Amino acid sequence: MKEPLLEGEGLYKLIPQRNPIVMVDTFFCADETGAETGLHVQSGNLFCEGGLLREPGMIEHVAQSAAAFAGYAPYTRGEAPKLGFIGEVKKFKIVRLPKVGEFLHTSLRVLGEAAGVTLIAAETKVAEEVLATCQMKIFIKED
Amino acid sequence: MEKNELIAKINETLADEFEVEVSDITPDANIKETLQLDSLSLVDMVALIESEFGVKIQGSEMVKVQTFQALYDFIAERTA
Repeated sequence: MKEPLLEGEGLYKLIPQRNPIVMVDTFFCADETGAETGLHVQSGNLFCEGGLLREPGMIEHVAQSAAAFAGYAPYTRGEAPKLGFIGEVKKFKIVRLPKVGEFLHTSLRVLGEAAGVTLIAAETKVAEEVLATCQMKIFIKED
Repeated sequence: MEKNELIAKINETLADEFEVEVSDITPDANIKETLQLDSLSLVDMVALIESEFGVKIQGSEMVKVQTFQALYDFIAERTA
């Protein structure tokens, strides 16, 4: 596995969320084509129930991964993250829910951009097992 | 690919993605109205054209492509 660029509260430089709602704790890499993030599923997680990370938590993890991706470029320029919005979540497929103790590794890939909206494909894995896939539209509020 | 084949593939791809009947897609029909595109779904069209036909289209170019005939011509020119 790649060495993370940012971990834990280091992600606060990229996303506006704060504990207990933070759903991404590792940022591996990013370029203009996509990014990779991660999350350690812990028992105290707000979205865990019965030892599993529930569906809203999966969606929130992908959403915050996208937010971290959007925040990374401004961060490298020494700028504050820009405000971003999720326009749509579609084709969300969950193969199984992650268990407490597992580590989610999410890959984001840019599929296209138009009119300020970016379409991203996300794939969440535990080790080599694909747990979920989706597409998400995000747009960033420019200054 | 012959242009007729290309047009058929474009029509089938769009009908499948945007959940309309292939018969609704005619050369002179307006793309946005036929596929019920809004500002959010424009990016779906851009991503679909790139993934299915290998043609990169900028959002600003997409806005100018109003009819299916214009779209067929745009993709045909770039895949020739």
